[in-house]
Amino acid sequence: MSAAPTSATEPQAAGMPHGRLREPAHRVSPRAVRYWTVNSLIGGVVTWAVLFAVAWFLPEGRWWSTALVWLFVVVMAVNVVEVVLEPAIRFRRTRWEVTGARVFVQTGWLSRDQRIAPLSRVQTVDTHRGAVMRLYGLANITVTTASAAGPITIPCLDSDLADRVTADLARITGQARGDAT
Amino acid sequence: MTVPDLPPPTGAPVVPAADPGPAVPGPVAGPPVPGGTGQWQRQSPRMLLVHPVRILGSFAVPLLLAMFGVGRGDDGGPWWLLVAAAGAVIAVLAGVASWFITRFRFTDEQLQLRTGLLSRRILTAPLDRVRSVDVESSPLHRVLGLAKVKVGTGVDSTRIELDGVSREQATELRTFLLRRTSEENAAPGPDDATLRPGDQPAGPADASGTPYPQAEAELARIDWSWLRYAPFSLSSLVVVAGAVGVLSQVGDDLPVDQVEVAQDAWAWVVAQAVLVLLAMVAVAVVVGWVVVSTVTYVLTWWNLRVVREGQGNLRITRGLLTTHSQTVERAKVRGARMGEPFLLRLVRGAELTAIATGVGSGGTVKVLPPAPRQVVTDVGHELLEETGALTMELTGHGPRARRRIHLRHQWGTLVVAGLLAVPTWLTDAWWFDRLPGWGPVAVLVVLGALNAVVADSAWRNLGHGLTERHLVVQTGAFVRTREVLEVAGVIGWVVQQSFFQRRRDLCDLVATTAAGPEQVTAPDIPVDAAVRLARRATPGMLDDLLA
Repeated sequence: MSAAPTSATEPQAAGMPHGRLREPAHRVSPRAVRYWTVNSLIGGVVTWAVLFAVAWFLPEGRWWSTALVWLFVVVMAVNVVEVVLEPAIRFRRTRWEVTGARVFVQTGWLSRDQRIAPLSRVQTVDTHRGAVMRLYGLANITVTTASAAGPITIPCLDSDLADRVTADLARITGQARGDAT
Repeated sequence: MTVPDLPPPTGAPVVPAADPGPAVPGPVAGPPVPGGTGQWQRQSPRMLLVHPVRILGSFAVPLLLAMFGVGRGDDGGPWWLLVAAAGAVIAVLAGVASWFITRFRFTDEQLQLRTGLLSRRILTAPLDRVRSVDVESSPLHRVLGLAKVKVGTGVDSTRIELDGVSREQATELRTFLLRRTSEENAAPGPDDATLRPGDQPAGPADASGTPYPQAEAELARIDWSWLRYAPFSLSSLVVVAGAVGVLSQVGDDLPVDQVEVAQDAWAWVVAQAVLVLLAMVAVAVVVGWVVVSTVTYVLTWWNLRVVREGQGNLRITRGLLTTHSQTVERAKVRGARMGEPFLLRLVRGAELTAIATGVGSGGTVKVLPPAPRQVVTDVGHELLEETGALTMELTGHGPRARRRIHLRHQWGTLVVAGLLAVPTWLTDAWWFDRLPGWGPVAVLVVLGALNAVVADSAWRNLGHGLTERHLVVQTGAFVRTREVLEVAGVIGWVVQQSFFQRRRDLCDLVATTAAGPEQVTAPDIPVDAAVRLARRATPGMLDDLLA
């Protein structure tokens, strides 16, 4: 017996006016743009160096070395886009919110990932500061639940704000009992 | 709790495993602890026999190789005997050491297991968190009247293994460990169903709250007429393919080229009857498939009984040589998965797996072998304690999802055809100029048609639904899989949209859970349908998050 493909795109039922999730309220720290740029730049410079080095030693005149060089050019162009465009777009699209005992986070620049977890089901709250992040005074908060599919990362918050949010989250989740499964 | 009391934000568990507060309603006056409280116990002395045999078994292949290697040498003689003797001595010593070192005990709150010679480890399981107990006996264990007990908790995905307890002790342990948990849950205490402010499920709440004082009820028992479904399970095909591979390896190693008669015979066969040979191989594979699958089926599912115990816990016993007895706490059975591989679908068969928390990695317990679909749905509904989830009509994901799935499946076609087109049409290097000019077009057409069939089947199988207590998602092209998850077990939602999905207003809706594979995904679902499904499944969880 197969699932009869009745239409799932019928007009919305009355009393259910909302057909999609809104964006979370808060943006991340504006310094995140610079952090992401620097991050992509580091990766981009390394990639460019490696590709140039490889291209230098490719034999001339073979069809496959020409093809490889073109591939390299594409990769390098993607790198440039990542440095120039991605951080700004990512900043506009990355949002977070803690509301009504839920964590709600949206990430991604071309794709979009919206994650929701009730605080009653949160097991751990971590903050993480990488070396470059510390230069910019940023921190990630990761909230994990009992599901391996459910960890939620709020990226690139202002360091002080991250500490406050972590403390708040820890306080709220510490009140919940049970094994959060 | 004030702010200075907070744990530092280091990632330490915020919900402590053993909450010392008033949450735990004191030690439960359960049945007496097997072997007494606080006493370190060893495995049964009979384990001293198991260890050497098992270690010899793991040494068998290298030992055999060593024997052959040494035995083939010209000076032959007693060398391989020495090697064998050394192996045996090492095995016995290691076995004794392992028996001597491994101990376990029960405290009032914990089960503790101590192992390790050089790096000593103590594994613990909080007794009030025990969710599942598996008792397993290999043939060797059974000869000696022993069993291996695996204890799963909701805290950790690894399980504690007590190997080598006597069979009576294993049964005793099983009752002791799980009765303790059920009493804990029956008490009006930290029942997790009452502690979710944001997501009270619709309808009757978590099953763990309701008492379940009933007699033991049998849900299913092996019916040997099901054996006809054995060859239709794909897993056995894998086994046979592996066996054929191994055999062909061995065949290569046979010194055929040294035997002229064989060589002549081979040449004659090749010359006369390649087709006959191929047919014979095909027949051999099919016969092997049927035999292997049937034997595996019998070995695995011998004496299968699925039982709902007096307190509602689920117990599954099975096995001909190695016997398994798996018991899962009732409240931790979070759902079911019905799998219908392509071949099994042709004969109206299906398989059933339970999705649970705290049953080890994977989180699934096989409940039924390939069996008639009717039986699978009936037992599945008993398992879920709700009728309908496995038989209901599902809502499809609509024409946009269909276009999306078709396009995604054709990417592979384009890539393969493109990879073939470049050398065929653009270069004359090497042997590429010998490739036929129509090759890429043929590949494009044939592969495209195949992928279209697969994509359409994937779309037709795709669907979602919601019963009063369960979320239902069906996916798969070759293996149709229907996953049913208790909505009370949903601990969060993820709405994922790739770039292309955003353009079509589709998304992958992921319900995260602690049970089973820890997520249930409804792929390529229209965004409004996804939001509606999530809102109805967990009322409140999405409130004021909507646009």
